[in-house]
Amino acid sequence: MSEKILIDCGTSYTKIYYIDQNYYDVVPSREFRKWKKELRIPLATGYNTRGTGEVQVNELIALAEGGLRLIPEDSFTLLDCGARDVKYLNMKEGKIIRMDWNTECGAFAGQVIELLINYFDIDPNKLPSDSEKIPVVCAVLGMTKMFDKIAEGVPYPKAFMGFLKGIAWNCYHLVDKPELIYLSGGLCENRAFINSFPCQVRPLGRYVLLEGLKSFYENPSRLRPLEETIKQSNPL
Amino acid sequence: MIVGIVGVPCWEEMQKYVKRGDIIIDLDDAIPEISIEDSYLPKIYCSILKRVTSNAITLAQAGKLHLILADVGEGKCDGMRYIASFLRELLPIPVVEVRNANSTGWGYPICQSQLPLRKKMELIVETVSKPINPSTKLQKTIPSCGFWGVPPSDFTLLELFPPTTHIYGWTRCMENKTPANRELELQLDEEVPTVFFTQNFCQRSALAFHLAKRYQGLFVQMDHHLTKSIRAMVEAFIKFNVK
Repeated sequence: MSEKILIDCGTSYTKIYYIDQNYYDVVPSREFRKWKKELRIPLATGYNTRGTGEVQVNELIALAEGGLRLIPEDSFTLLDCGARDVKYLNMKEGKIIRMDWNTECGAFAGQVIELLINYFDIDPNKLPSDSEKIPVVCAVLGMTKMFDKIAEGVPYPKAFMGFLKGIAWNCYHLVDKPELIYLSGGLCENRAFINSFPCQVRPLGRYVLLEGLKSFYENPSRLRPLEETIKQSNPL
Repeated sequence: MIVGIVGVPCWEEMQKYVKRGDIIIDLDDAIPEISIEDSYLPKIYCSILKRVTSNAITLAQAGKLHLILADVGEGKCDGMRYIASFLRELLPIPVVEVRNANSTGWGYPICQSQLPLRKKMELIVETVSKPINPSTKLQKTIPSCGFWGVPPSDFTLLELFPPTTHIYGWTRCMENKTPANRELELQLDEEVPTVFFTQNFCQRSALAFHLAKRYQGLFVQMDHHLTKSIRAMVEAFIKFNVK
């Protein structure tokens, strides 16, 4: 019998929810694409979904639904920092009042952070908090500035922390400087990144989009296809 | 004679050419056999004005355009005024600068009709220089959603909206034949969830951004084509906001 899963197939990692076992897993997306397991995927989301899954849900819809499921309030700012992009939405009483999906200028922020952590072989939980923010236009350009600092003699943990602060600063301004940000994505596990924000940050983990898919799987009526939404708006 | 129009010139002005049997073509529209050239204007520029410029130069050089009637007033934009000033020197055909300050509204039944949003937009664009086909049935609807802005460079965007989407902003001014009527451009149904759209690099984006914030709508900018992220934002906005 084929295994039933929900997937959030991101640029770097695929987040998986095994429906019958009520179990989560994360595998590199390049490995997931090679899986030969017999799978049934009722719902899928994510940048790398590419035709996978019986129904594909766009990432912002999955994120919003996941936020509504996980966050006790129905008004909130939810920021998802992925490997490749940054997206956010601002909900007020269950309606989206602002959102953006920064696919270009958030360029590879998450992936670059992970690469640098591995390259420097540092523990992101042990970075100095007094680093000065490096102005970061995008992760790639920010990285060159960080290496300039290192060349000037700044210790690399300090320079890297400045780089993180620069990315956090961009994200904070992208979401319009709220007092509280709910954070989604793999960077929730990076305490230094969370501490880099000039506001309160509550990490929700990397399964927020999967929670959105779970909500739709459990309540299919909530995943009313857009076409149906269109049809139901009847003329006079 | 083939007359190319840009923006919404005065109806009476255009009808002078129509009555003598001239063909009117809209240079703002995509012409399938003409590609948009980056060599005429800066790379970072409004794609509609790039299209106007490419269409005008290509057609005029091929002898398929004999006069341009370009709105360069408040009903269009500063960009077109500057472009018209060099097209006059560049092209072997007359470039007539006009300013449509008409304030007598014709009404906007297409904007409020039951037609799918893309069809509404196509009809508004088609009827800039010719009257609507009398057999076209327009039924007024209650708006469930709003589209504020200009005709987009890629009409695929409009297919994401429900048919009960009403059109506001400059496109409504187009149908009303009052393209410079800023008061009408600013009027909205406040309770209707609205997408505020402009082309990238358009000065109108300042207004769209402000109105989106004020009315808690969705601000969307597009360059040439509908992208995955714009599609996702519009879909999410409609899913969570349109009842």
